[in-house]
Amino acid sequence: MKKRFCLISAVMVLILTFTMTSSVYAFKWPWERDEKVGNVREMVEGPIKIGFMGNLSSPFSLSSRGAAQMAVDEMNAAGGIMGKQVELIIEDTKGEIPKCVEIYKKLVMVDKVLAVIIAEKVEMSAAGMEIGAELFPEFPHLFFSTIGSGDVIWHRVRDNYDKYKFGFQTYYAISTHYLEKFSGMFTDIYKNTMGVKKVALIYEDMEWTQPLRKGIPGVSPRLAEVYEKAGLEVVYETTLSLDQKMFNSVFEEVAASGADVIDCVIGYIDQASFIKQWEQSSARDTQWIIWGGLAGMPPIWKMTGGKVLGGMVGSSMVAVNITPKTIPFMVNLYTKYKVGPIFGSHTTYDTLFGFKKALETGKTLVDVDTIIKSLETIEEVAVLGTIGWNAEKHYNLPSPKYVTPIVQWKKDGKMYVIYPEQYQQKPYESPVNIRK
Amino acid sequence: MLLVKLQSVLAYTFIWGSIYLLISLGFSLICGVLRIFHLGYGVIFVLAAYGTWAFLDAGLGLIPSILAMFLLQVLVALLVFYKGIFQRYLDREEILLTLTMLVFMAVTHMANYFYPITAGVNLPTTIIDGTFKLGAVRISYQMLLAALMGVAVTVSLILFFLKTRLGLIIRAMSQSTQASLLLGADINKMYYLAMILSIIPPIICTLMIAPFWSIDPHMGASLLMTAMLIAILGGLGNLKGSIIASYLIGFIHAAVSFLYVSRFMGFAALIITLIVMIFKRGGLFAGETIW
Repeated sequence: MKKRFCLISAVMVLILTFTMTSSVYAFKWPWERDEKVGNVREMVEGPIKIGFMGNLSSPFSLSSRGAAQMAVDEMNAAGGIMGKQVELIIEDTKGEIPKCVEIYKKLVMVDKVLAVIIAEKVEMSAAGMEIGAELFPEFPHLFFSTIGSGDVIWHRVRDNYDKYKFGFQTYYAISTHYLEKFSGMFTDIYKNTMGVKKVALIYEDMEWTQPLRKGIPGVSPRLAEVYEKAGLEVVYETTLSLDQKMFNSVFEEVAASGADVIDCVIGYIDQASFIKQWEQSSARDTQWIIWGGLAGMPPIWKMTGGKVLGGMVGSSMVAVNITPKTIPFMVNLYTKYKVGPIFGSHTTYDTLFGFKKALETGKTLVDVDTIIKSLETIEEVAVLGTIGWNAEKHYNLPSPKYVTPIVQWKKDGKMYVIYPEQYQQKPYESPVNIRK
Repeated sequence: MLLVKLQSVLAYTFIWGSIYLLISLGFSLICGVLRIFHLGYGVIFVLAAYGTWAFLDAGLGLIPSILAMFLLQVLVALLVFYKGIFQRYLDREEILLTLTMLVFMAVTHMANYFYPITAGVNLPTTIIDGTFKLGAVRISYQMLLAALMGVAVTVSLILFFLKTRLGLIIRAMSQSTQASLLLGADINKMYYLAMILSIIPPIICTLMIAPFWSIDPHMGASLLMTAMLIAILGGLGNLKGSIIASYLIGFIHAAVSFLYVSRFMGFAALIITLIVMIFKRGGLFAGETIW
């Protein structure tokens, strides 16, 4: 018994000694050793790995996946990046945050990707960015959020650059730019393209419209105030609930207000019902402009049985030569990858080419800090203008660098760009004239 | 101005109320006859829209597509829901609720797989396009027709229950299945009939509202919620209650949206339902009978 007790004590002492010395000398198990060196070796030896994550049941992520695959295929066909082939690892988050976090870890720690793309709603990107920040010191990598305008991504970079510097955001505009950029664009359309003055404002009850509806005290005014200051007259304002299906009262009130145009700061409400009911209301002769969403996608024509005729919307799903890349992107995505360009596909594609340019400019495939600095300075020709990122906040350079065309639905069931003028395909017509 | 608004409230109480009635009648019927909470009810709307579309897509005309869809709905109602779930698990409510919900989700996912939102699904079921003015209120012809159809279907169902022998048996069953059995009622046949009757209002509803309502794979969920809200407010399984509740919800929606702001119409209806439930447990017409 005494002998056994002594043996156990000796083992305990050994364990204790081992534990203490290992903490002093930073002991690591063989599989924990030289993780960074291992990462670097793999990055130098194997292909350049990029992880793609999205909810592969949603049209947005599916379209983005097609665009990402197309970008990688094009890069590889042209010799890869700095002579190395690119490998895209595609993962399905199923729209679930825990799964997103788990996959992010797997991509970075097991697959050892150089960059992770999350092409899904911005909440998912925020979750990915958090786990990315924890992994970054051990596993340096880059992160790109390519769907969603929420400010949560770039706010992190602004507020804690050292922790989140690996994260970049690409979208048509971030929420903050909506007031700054879109209000000017729409004022120009109302005053100069349409020649009207009275505006009815319809918002949807979502986080992204709040600064526009209410303004941010001491930071930015309300959208209505910006319009009034620019010489427009806001005659009606209302907010719609996201689950609303009946809009009759809204359109009757708009018609009674005498508005010339309905400015719809919406993107997520049931736009098919909204448009169908507009066409069967007293406001059917009043022009509407929807900021984005389903109304800017080709299926809406069929979904509304053509009732969308005359409507205007911010859309990138129209074949207009903004850059030499625009038309080939659209055609190839349709024909070779069997998906339509939807929100997020352009931004994912452009992000990858921006990433390529950053590697080539920085002349490194492994030094992530250099690549980050490079991403902060480069500019590259993109499908929708120019891709590049703000050096301090890491959102992509907004309009006029990155263009969102305003289109109008015409009688042939297609969208045509009416604004900006340099890309105009057909002139603006009022709903009354267009129906004639 | 106020007069115009009041006219609007009146007109849309009738229109929306009648449409809500079409949405909820089938749900109430199943609640009343089979005494179950049919969480798979949303399937009927999805199948009505996507079934018709699939047959149209296959090259059938509109009427043959609607007929084929109706047959499909009958098969799903009888074989999947009644024979497959209700008959087996009538006394195991937790399994019954789970299974009906699962079928609903599976059908929704299937619709989304074959016809995602990008497929641009739309039913060409407009009977009369355009609008007209009733006093100072502008109304869409299609909405009015949907409302009138709601009234017609309801009246037909009431007449069926009150004036026919089959209706009498179903009413008796809704009071006591055991007593009806003792009196020689063929319960199984009556259940079949009730299942078929219950799919008619939501099918008509889907076809009538399609010209002013969006068709998407997830449309069943919001329509199921509306049906449930009305059935609960009216008193589960009571058709009189459903009629009153439909028009009450229609009135709340119309009053809030025309006199205040449309954004709160859904919220207001929920609050009123909650208040009613606090003071009148079991809903407006809480009872054990269908009529």
